[in-house]
Amino acid sequence: MSQLRKDIISGRWVIIAAERGKRPDDFRPAPTEKKKEPAGFCPFCEGNESKTPREVYALRKNGTRPNKPGWLVRVVPNKFPALTRGMPPVQHEDGIFRWMDGVGVHEVVIETPDHDRELPDLPLYHIQQVLETYKKRVLSIEKEFQYKYVHVFKNKGREAGASLSHPHSQIVATPIIPKKVNEELYGCERLHRQHGECIICRIIRDETSEGERLILRNEHFCVMAPFAPRFPFEMRIYPLRHSAWYTCLTKVESLWLARTIKTTLGKLKVILSDPPFNFYIHQAPNPNLPHEGWANLRESFHWHLEIIPVLTRVAGFEWGTGFYINPVPPETAAGFMRSSS
Amino acid sequence: MKKKKKLLIVEDEKNLCLLYREELTREGYKVIAVSDAETAVQQINKQPFDLIVTDIRMPVKNGIELITQIMALRKDIPIIINTAYQSYKHDFMTWAADAYIVKSASLDELKSKIKELIG
Repeated sequence: MSQLRKDIISGRWVIIAAERGKRPDDFRPAPTEKKKEPAGFCPFCEGNESKTPREVYALRKNGTRPNKPGWLVRVVPNKFPALTRGMPPVQHEDGIFRWMDGVGVHEVVIETPDHDRELPDLPLYHIQQVLETYKKRVLSIEKEFQYKYVHVFKNKGREAGASLSHPHSQIVATPIIPKKVNEELYGCERLHRQHGECIICRIIRDETSEGERLILRNEHFCVMAPFAPRFPFEMRIYPLRHSAWYTCLTKVESLWLARTIKTTLGKLKVILSDPPFNFYIHQAPNPNLPHEGWANLRESFHWHLEIIPVLTRVAGFEWGTGFYINPVPPETAAGFMRSSS
Repeated sequence: MKKKKKLLIVEDEKNLCLLYREELTREGYKVIAVSDAETAVQQINKQPFDLIVTDIRMPVKNGIELITQIMALRKDIPIIINTAYQSYKHDFMTWAADAYIVKSASLDELKSKIKELIG
């Protein structure tokens, strides 16, 4: 029989409808469904720097000039952004509706000059540099007080929303805290009051001792399938040290995070045959701003990274109800992930 | 006498094609207008252009595929995407273009962008 499970932080219910005999292979996207991108030119490749806006940050080889070849990681503003940098936007009222100017920041992190080398295929040091780049850019954007939240995310594969296969991630800063982040902040604060400790620290403690949904644990991070995942093989990477902000990551931790991401995405690539996926970081809002309404943000929230392989479609039931039907129990997914070398 | 700058307009909507040709010729450019990507590639192979303006949503081959093909032939031609849709901005292949314009009744933005890119 299927099971209804509640995600305690967001309050969202999911239906775990395990299908007998399902193996990871059954969720691999059919090769014929994969759309090919037009070959021949890529604006993110080394040598095509003139096709991007001027870089705002780059990790470069000694002696190379900005906006020229010779970089390892490069960050550029979005050439045709949906949100543009500007003064703090004023909220307007239009009858019962509210709106503001589309102020925000949209940057692209080009993870490597190599078009065909995906994030988990890069050396550890290089992945660490990508993670350190996220941190530097978030810290820099957070100096502008109009941006309440800075979101770091990666889309890999067309089905996951990536328009180019060249490895890249994105950073979007908004003048409002996104609804999903607000729900998590609220849930963590409520559960902090109820349990007298950070709920994610508690989840880490309980889940690492139970082990059923634990995928891996090292000195600084653990990876687990959440109790009530919306999607097959959904995973969370949690830092073992409590911190509300990703930007508090130390150099040692960023190296361990690189190792954790490399292992996790590497396993995913093997057992699901290189599936499309999204990952994103959830952290507390801009620490330079007063956090009215969040009394214990620093203690109650725990930053983390969520990985969502795109293996199923969200359809009418999910859109209409907010329920998700997941055909792979997290215990099964974690078992497959653990067993992959 | 100063040589006229040559533009290639790729637009599958016939009336718009005529309008662009008329308006941009009046601005002092030499304009070749074609209605599909294949003919555009033939034109680019046949003669040099100073700038290309292309629509995205076109039958057979879309504007993004055309841009990719142009980049393989000549990386240095300035390209303006002129489309009715904002949504293609999410496609990073559009970065191969130098400007992205959302079509409107007025051609002022298109004219000023052309002027900015090639004078």
